[in-house]
Amino acid sequence: MQTKGFSKVAMGVFGALTLVGIACWIFQLIGGLGVTGMSNTTSWGLYICMFMLFVGLSAGGLIVASSAHVFGIEKFKPIAKPAVIMSTVCICVAGMLILVDLGGIQRIWRLVTGPNFMSPLLWDVCIITIYLVINILDLVWMQKGENDKVRKLSYVALPVAILVHSVTAWIFGLQIARAWYTAIMAPIFVASALDSGLALLLLGLLLIDKVGIAELGDELLASLAKLLATFIAVDAFFIGCELLTMAYPGAGEAAALSHMLSGATAPFFWFEIIGGLLVPFVILAIANNRTKRGMVVLASALVVLGVACKRIWLLFTSFITPNVAGAPGIAGGSAAAREGGDIWAIIGTYAPTLPEILIVVGVISLGVLAFMVLCNKLVAGEEVEQQVSLPSEEVAQAA
Amino acid sequence: MTKLALAINQKRCIGCQACAEACKMENNVGMGMLWTRTLTEGSDVMDAAVGEFPNLRMDYLPLGCQHCENPACQKVCPTGATYKDEMGRVEIDYDKCIGCRMCMAACPYNVRVFNWTEPVHDPETGYGDATVPVRHKGVMEKCTLCKQRTDNGQKPMCVVCCPTHARVFGDLDDPNSEISRLKRERTVRILLEEMGTEPQVFYFV
Repeated sequence: MQTKGFSKVAMGVFGALTLVGIACWIFQLIGGLGVTGMSNTTSWGLYICMFMLFVGLSAGGLIVASSAHVFGIEKFKPIAKPAVIMSTVCICVAGMLILVDLGGIQRIWRLVTGPNFMSPLLWDVCIITIYLVINILDLVWMQKGENDKVRKLSYVALPVAILVHSVTAWIFGLQIARAWYTAIMAPIFVASALDSGLALLLLGLLLIDKVGIAELGDELLASLAKLLATFIAVDAFFIGCELLTMAYPGAGEAAALSHMLSGATAPFFWFEIIGGLLVPFVILAIANNRTKRGMVVLASALVVLGVACKRIWLLFTSFITPNVAGAPGIAGGSAAAREGGDIWAIIGTYAPTLPEILIVVGVISLGVLAFMVLCNKLVAGEEVEQQVSLPSEEVAQAA
Repeated sequence: MTKLALAINQKRCIGCQACAEACKMENNVGMGMLWTRTLTEGSDVMDAAVGEFPNLRMDYLPLGCQHCENPACQKVCPTGATYKDEMGRVEIDYDKCIGCRMCMAACPYNVRVFNWTEPVHDPETGYGDATVPVRHKGVMEKCTLCKQRTDNGQKPMCVVCCPTHARVFGDLDDPNSEISRLKRERTVRILLEEMGTEPQVFYFV
C-alpha cells in the first residue's frame, strides 16, 4: 500500500484534543453551565456562535456536490465525495455543539415525547436530522457507486440544505425581543453558509491535494474560486441591506448598531467587513489569483474567519443592552453568586472560559479527525483502487 | 375563565425591594437570582435621580415576569416546558426543561433566571414555602405568580409584603375585580407594548 493520506501523528494530535474536550465536558456536566462565561445577561455564548458557524460551513460540501447533478455541472463530480464528507462532518460538529450547550441533556428525550412544533429550535432539530440522514445516504450511495440514487437524492438535498440555514436563522430572526428580528436573517444565513462553506471546501480540497489523497486541477480550482467571489458579493449585499435598514430610521436598532460600529462587537464587525468580505473579494476578483494556490488559501481562510466574526457580532450585539434598562440591572445568576462579588450587570458582557474553549476545540477536533479518517478510507482508497485494479471487477466489488 | 394579573402603582412604589426579598424567601430563589427586582428607571445607579437640577425625577419600576397573553418564551420552548396555564399564568414544568435557554433569548423583559450551577442557598437548608418545587442546575425559572399560593386563592407574597400597597392582584376576566377597574379607569402603562406580547402585568399611576 502507498503511504498517501493523513498521517497517524496528525490524527493522534486531534484525537488527544478530543479527549481533552471530553474531559472538560464531563467537568461541565458536574459543575453545570456555570463553568462557562455565560450568565443571565448573555445567555448564549461560544457554543451557539460556533453552532451557527458550523451549520453554515456544512453547506458548501453538499451544495457543490448536489449542484453537480441538479445543474449538470460535470466538473464538480470528481470532488463530490470529499465535499459530502466535509458536509457530514460539519453538521455533526454543529449538532454536538448544541448538545454541549444544553443544561439538562439528561432530559433531551422530552424533545421526542412532548415536542412543541411552534418552536424554531424544534424545527432545527428536525431539519438537521433530515440533513444528516441525506448526507450519510449520499455518502453511502456514492461509495457503492449507485449514481442514479445519488442523482435523485441531489434534488432533495439542495432544497433541504437551503432550509437548514434558513431554519437556523429563524431561531434568531423570529425573536422580536432582539436586534436579530429581521426578515433578511434567513437570506444572510444562506449567503454566509454558501461563502464560508465553499471557502472551507476549497481549503479541504487543497489539503487533501497536498497530502496526495485526491488531485485538484487548476481549472476546477479557478472555477470554484470564481464561484466563491460571487458568493462573497451576495453575502456583502445582504449585510449592506440590513445595515442600511438598521441605520436609516436613527431609532430602535440604533443602540445595537452603535455596539457594532464602535462598541464591544466592533472589532468583529469591522474584521468581517474588511477582512472577510472586501479583501477576499478583491483577491478572487483578479482572474490570475484564482489559480495561485496561496492566494486561494488566503482568501478562503479570510472568508471562514470573517464569517466566524459575523457569528460573534450577530449573536452578542443583541445581548448587550437590555430592553428594560435601569439600576441595578440584571442579576447574573447562580454562577455569579458562587464567584462572590457584584452579581449585578447593567449591560451584558461575556468572555468564554478555558473549559468552554477546550470543549469547542475538542468538538472541532473530533470533526477534523473524522474528516481525516473518512478521507483516508473512502477517497484515498478509491484512488488506489482506480489506479491499481481497474481490470478486475471482482476485487472492486469485494472491496 | 380566570386571567390572574398584577397591577403596579408606580406612584406608590418607594423602591424598597421588599417585593424582591419576599419573593426570594417565599420561593426559595437561589443566591444571585431574583424573580422580581425593582429598577431605578433611566439610571445606572440605584436610587439615583435622573435629569438636571432642578428638573429631577426618580421612578421605580418593579420588574418580574409579565405573564404575557402572547408569551414569546412559551412559543419558542422546544419541549413545552414553558406553558400558559388555565389561570392565565405563564409557568415552567421543570421536569421538561432541557436548559436550551431559547426562552431567555426570546423574552423581551430579561426576567428569566437560569440555574447555571446547582443553586446556592443561604442558609444552605433553603427557605420558603415547603410546597415550592426544588430546582436543580440546568433548568430555567422565573416568577410563578406564587402558584402555590394563588392556586389556593391567596395573594402572591410580593403583594402581601409591599409596605405601600403598590401592588394589586386579581382576575382580569372578572369585570368587577379591583384590577379590572384599575385597568379601565386609570392611566395604564404596558411595558414594551410595541412588541405585542400583551402583558397581564401592567403599571398605573
